[in-house]
Amino acid sequence: MDFNYTPEEVRFRKDLREWLEDALPEGWGKTAFEPEDEYDRAMFRLEWERKLHSGGWSGINWPREYGGRGATLIERAIFAEEMARVRAPEGLNIIGHNLAGPTILRHGTEEQKKRFLPTIISSDEVWCQGFSEPNAGSDLASVRMRAVRKGDKFIVNGQKIWTSYAQYSQWCFALVRTDPDAPKHKGLSFLLIDMSSPGISIRPLRQISGECEFNETFFDDVEVPAENIVGDINDGWRIAMTTLAYERGPEDALGRQVRFKQELDKLIASTITIQADKGRAIDDPVTRQKLARSVVEVELMRLNAVRTFSKYLSGEDRGPDASVIKLYWSHAAQRMYESALDILGPLAPVSGDDPLAVAGGRFQLSYLQSRAFTIYSGSSEIQRNIIGERMLGLPR
Amino acid sequence: MNFGFNEEQKSLGETVAQLLGDYPSLLAPDPAEGRDLSVWNALAELGLFSLLVPEDHGGVGLSLVDIALAVETLGAGLAPSIIASTLIATDIIVRFGTEQQRAELLPRIDAGEIRISTAVLEAGQGYHPDMVQTLTGGNGITGTKILVPDADIADYFLILARVDGRPGLVLAQREARGVSMRPHDDIDPSCGLHELRFDGAALSEGAFLGHKTAQDAVSRFYDVAATVHAGLQIGISAHMLDVSVDYAGTRVQFGKPIGSFQAVKHRCADMAVAVEAGRSAAYYAFWAVAEDVPDRSRASSMAKAYCGEVARNACSEAIQIHGGMGFTWELGLHRFLRRANVLEHAFGNHVWHYERVMSETLASHVGAGEADRDAA
Repeated sequence: MDFNYTPEEVRFRKDLREWLEDALPEGWGKTAFEPEDEYDRAMFRLEWERKLHSGGWSGINWPREYGGRGATLIERAIFAEEMARVRAPEGLNIIGHNLAGPTILRHGTEEQKKRFLPTIISSDEVWCQGFSEPNAGSDLASVRMRAVRKGDKFIVNGQKIWTSYAQYSQWCFALVRTDPDAPKHKGLSFLLIDMSSPGISIRPLRQISGECEFNETFFDDVEVPAENIVGDINDGWRIAMTTLAYERGPEDALGRQVRFKQELDKLIASTITIQADKGRAIDDPVTRQKLARSVVEVELMRLNAVRTFSKYLSGEDRGPDASVIKLYWSHAAQRMYESALDILGPLAPVSGDDPLAVAGGRFQLSYLQSRAFTIYSGSSEIQRNIIGERMLGLPR
Repeated sequence: MNFGFNEEQKSLGETVAQLLGDYPSLLAPDPAEGRDLSVWNALAELGLFSLLVPEDHGGVGLSLVDIALAVETLGAGLAPSIIASTLIATDIIVRFGTEQQRAELLPRIDAGEIRISTAVLEAGQGYHPDMVQTLTGGNGITGTKILVPDADIADYFLILARVDGRPGLVLAQREARGVSMRPHDDIDPSCGLHELRFDGAALSEGAFLGHKTAQDAVSRFYDVAATVHAGLQIGISAHMLDVSVDYAGTRVQFGKPIGSFQAVKHRCADMAVAVEAGRSAAYYAFWAVAEDVPDRSRASSMAKAYCGEVARNACSEAIQIHGGMGFTWELGLHRFLRRANVLEHAFGNHVWHYERVMSETLASHVGAGEADRDAA
């Protein structure tokens, strides 16, 4: 065990830090912020991702031959830390980077890797995820969207739901039913679908927070070239499990930890000015206990991720440890935002553009958004089943 | 950077676990029977006490990281308290002892000849070392300590006391005149907890540890102790998870193993997540104290606060999952709950350590914690 960094890792951090100094918008975090409008913000994030790519800071631990930087998982962790330090903007092509890329890298053909990976890394193509359906939520294997092979194409019909970023996406990876007569896990396939194909329509869904990040996506006789299948026909469940392992895994958790750490720092800073009945909020013992718990839990999100990286580096396979990571961060983050509103006191309900809103109303927005954490990427109940059955070996 | 243990470190943990397995009385339902001190000799023979002793004093010269998994095992096995307290004291003597103290004590620690208990808390005080009232002066020490583990079989006490008006560390021998004790009536009789009185008890010339750097010595003492206690706590937690999963997989109700019911399965899953997060906290603290990095105090308080809560919950969950059996004397789950409570209140409970995390975080300003970490 050694938390010291090798000379290469130190160098990586230094290079990144120097690059970031020039790359971030002037006055970033002080006078310059993300646009308020949802669409503008999405485009701002996309521009930032492309800038990262132009500097060579995208696809950090992906192979060089597909446009990646070829760095280690530890350097990827350093990357996340440095993004946190400068409170860097988030990206838009998160699903491309975290899910589509790793899945194609693991199961794709050489042609698929060459075709798709470089444009994910450059964020020239944004991706969305077509897994959930109205009747296939936690019971994901019961998806009904049909894909029928006709010549050198699949004809796809059906509906997906909760497709985040579909409105910005050029590509969608989808779990589709190719054999309705087989047992439900054995009749699925994993397709890569061009979102500009005729027959695709998107209807935004307004979320608890008022935003429209996710959508319903309808597929009506959509033609998908047969070569866009990942893995074999009817072997889609195995491929989807890889996607889910990444969706819940340490890379994803580290990226989120960056944001939680930023918001926690902001919350702590806010408590210095917020007044409570007996002086500053920061001097209130109950507030301090709540903040300290979140300080610990946000730090443990990072340590859990790094510890899991170390397991992977020593040759262990990705498994139910991803569910441990996801179950941990999702509940810890919800506790943090609940504490945030507790700590704001009488101003807790004041949000958004109100001049009295603390920190621009970010805590209220994040609090609302945080309700999704324990539902998406597999609800907490599903994660607990996975941990109970696959990690602890309890009976089904 | 690597957050894993090597083969030697893992193997040490397994060896200690096997050895403790040869002393089933440690887990006896009656806590008084659980005080089997013969395990000391076996661990000494194994060389446990020589691990932290530097090579120039005849030891192996390992670090706290090297013994982290062994400490976890000591927790899971309800090993006598004097083992952990001797390891904690060894670290302090190695780091803060004078050449003479090191030459005198370390070879004997190495050989497993001396047992050292820690005397910290006092009645009518909280947990903070600054509040200590026990006084040294005129070659003697006066004051009353409470909850001193295995005091009756200790050879030395590592005592928190006022030295020149400030909190400092003192070593006194149990055999010294002016030392008296009475056993507590307490929740875990297997810890051998005593009230310890010093009535101008004689201190030898070499009694003061880290005399010129008392504040550093006290701070490290708390950090190492908090970390070791976190390790013991996570050991208990992991064991509670294991026995709960075993039981839930075999106990049949409604025609099925109860572990197939989500109400039970999900409790086990939540315990597993808490144990893994607690391990992340504890192992990071072991590294931080071993390397003496600037993040040391925050890391050790994070571990003690978090693992204390995890341990207490894990014991309660285990009892719940075992149903009526869990509540019986003879199944012995209460032993772990009792021990977890003693550990929780030694060297600061979780509330105290969360407060310490907060003051450390604010002191280093927001975000400066990582600068220290990166510099480390």
